[in-house]
Amino acid sequence: MGMLDNRVAIVTGAGRGIGSEVAKLFAANGASVVVNDLGGAVDGTGGEAGPADETVAAIRDAGGNAAANYTSVADYDGAEGIIQQALDDFGRLDILVNVAGNLRDRMVFNMTEEEWDAVVAVHMKGTFNTTKYASIYWRANREGHYRLINFTSGSGLHGAPGQPNYAAAKLGIVGFTYSCANALGRYGVTSNAIGPGASTRMTDTVPTERRSRGFDEDSETTVDPRRSPANVAVPIVYIASEASDWLNGQVIQAMGYDIGLYNQYEIIRNLSSNEGWSVERAAEEIERVFKPAIEGSRLFG
Amino acid sequence: MGMLDGRVAIITGAGRGIGAETAKLFASEGAKIVVNDLGGAVDGSGAAAAPADEVVAAIRDAGGEAVANYSSVADYDAAEGIVKAALDNFGDLDIVVNTAGILRDRMVFNMTEAEWDAVLDVHLKGHFNLTKYASIHWRSERKGHYRLINFSSVSGIFGAPGQPNYAAAKMGIVGFTYSCANALGRYGATANAISPGASTRMTDTVPEERRREGSNIGDSTEEDPQRSPANVAVPLVYIASEQSDWLNGQIVGASGYELQLFNKPAVIRQVRGTERWTTEGAAQQIEELFKPAVGGGGGFYG
Repeated sequence: MGMLDNRVAIVTGAGRGIGSEVAKLFAANGASVVVNDLGGAVDGTGGEAGPADETVAAIRDAGGNAAANYTSVADYDGAEGIIQQALDDFGRLDILVNVAGNLRDRMVFNMTEEEWDAVVAVHMKGTFNTTKYASIYWRANREGHYRLINFTSGSGLHGAPGQPNYAAAKLGIVGFTYSCANALGRYGVTSNAIGPGASTRMTDTVPTERRSRGFDEDSETTVDPRRSPANVAVPIVYIASEASDWLNGQVIQAMGYDIGLYNQYEIIRNLSSNEGWSVERAAEEIERVFKPAIEGSRLFG
Repeated sequence: MGMLDGRVAIITGAGRGIGAETAKLFASEGAKIVVNDLGGAVDGSGAAAAPADEVVAAIRDAGGEAVANYSSVADYDAAEGIVKAALDNFGDLDIVVNTAGILRDRMVFNMTEAEWDAVLDVHLKGHFNLTKYASIHWRSERKGHYRLINFSSVSGIFGAPGQPNYAAAKMGIVGFTYSCANALGRYGATANAISPGASTRMTDTVPEERRREGSNIGDSTEEDPQRSPANVAVPLVYIASEQSDWLNGQIVGASGYELQLFNKPAVIRQVRGTERWTTEGAAQQIEELFKPAVGGGGGFYG
């Protein structure tokens, strides 16, 4: 008995890294998995069938069910085909995990239009594209414990200075996840976002001195099991299961051996008035009330 | 003496609504303003010079200094021209206020590719485009007290169900703002995001029964002064001033007569392992520790 018996999942970016580990662990827990991967480089260029095929082979060798799909999630029309493949090959769709991503790191003052567009297209539009077509199916078949599991990042939640495009896309995905949580709950869908931490080929592109503590070795050379992307997959099995109906609109941290719950946004200081503020009084009150509340708040890293 | 004497500001989307009020109030506090507005419809279609020209005329009539600019912020190359308009006309650039935005509301399962792209282009890419060229100037000059003031929304912060594109863009802007706050501080720039609440032609497009409970947002044609976009402009003067160096990487709410400070993302519950969790062990920990913290629902809009 697996926690995901008889469930069908699409995992994007499942040819390598976290996506591959999620696909394999889902399959080991009984899910049938569409392994989607364009097979491109970290920057999103190129494409090959090899990575998706390798994950599918590993799943089948272990006795699981999987099918490969090589479509770019950034392709709006192609996304419909990814959802259709789950229905064609496995007869239904319960779980969508949007892992696919790319990186084009650059400080904002040096970033090109192409670097901005490429990252926003894959992360944000890619997450929208697959979600749109999955939600059409979920809305038409309302009997399920459907799961939308998106990927955010500490880069967006805390604002990595060298990743303005990625930070924007990754917190944008949180806003999109919140919207979906509120929109799709009535159709039996929960929507949550994962903030992962692991050593993968994506983190390998970050200069060593800029990596988070504990994640400073390359994925190819590290033997520290704490840094394995396999750790990230573990809590996602529960989130993908029928047992997690109560969890909706949340950001879950899965980093090394740590599993965390993020707060929601809320107003922590509120100045009310019965009439319009004068510029001077607004200035005084903002300094008096807001300044002590943010003193000592940490910047990134 | 105004709080913004001698400072130069670009305000996008300044032809109408919150942007226009911000431009006029900044000018009355002594700032020189580039009034940028494409003059399009709420959905981003069309263009006209009149909205920007009218705001410039109002500022000049009141004795202030302003020039009009009609570029779309979604146009990467044109954004360089908006920054250049500030430098050419006023010799400097201290403040960028990214107000320009559009709406294409639709539930996610009905949303078209064009509706997604249009909103992301104007809000998110528009913020990037102008910020990039402003930050080049700020980095080379390093005079300090530079201000990047972006526009987020409760639609993103809490997740409006009928605005998946706008919610994504508006939280994307927060992520971008955090990144800029961390990147540009060393060059004397602060970066903050505003979560506004007012009645404008944008909120007029939202059906009345779907407007946020308690927000008291009526139609912009109603004459309740609490709903005026002029209220939103007031705290922006302080944020744009030289006094606010301490405020960086924050979301400030300006809604009606309320001034608000939002929290920042933080882990509030955490289970730590000494080895990889089993799926069963992780499931048990998540239910025991996280379920009470989210109150059985959590995050719901309205």
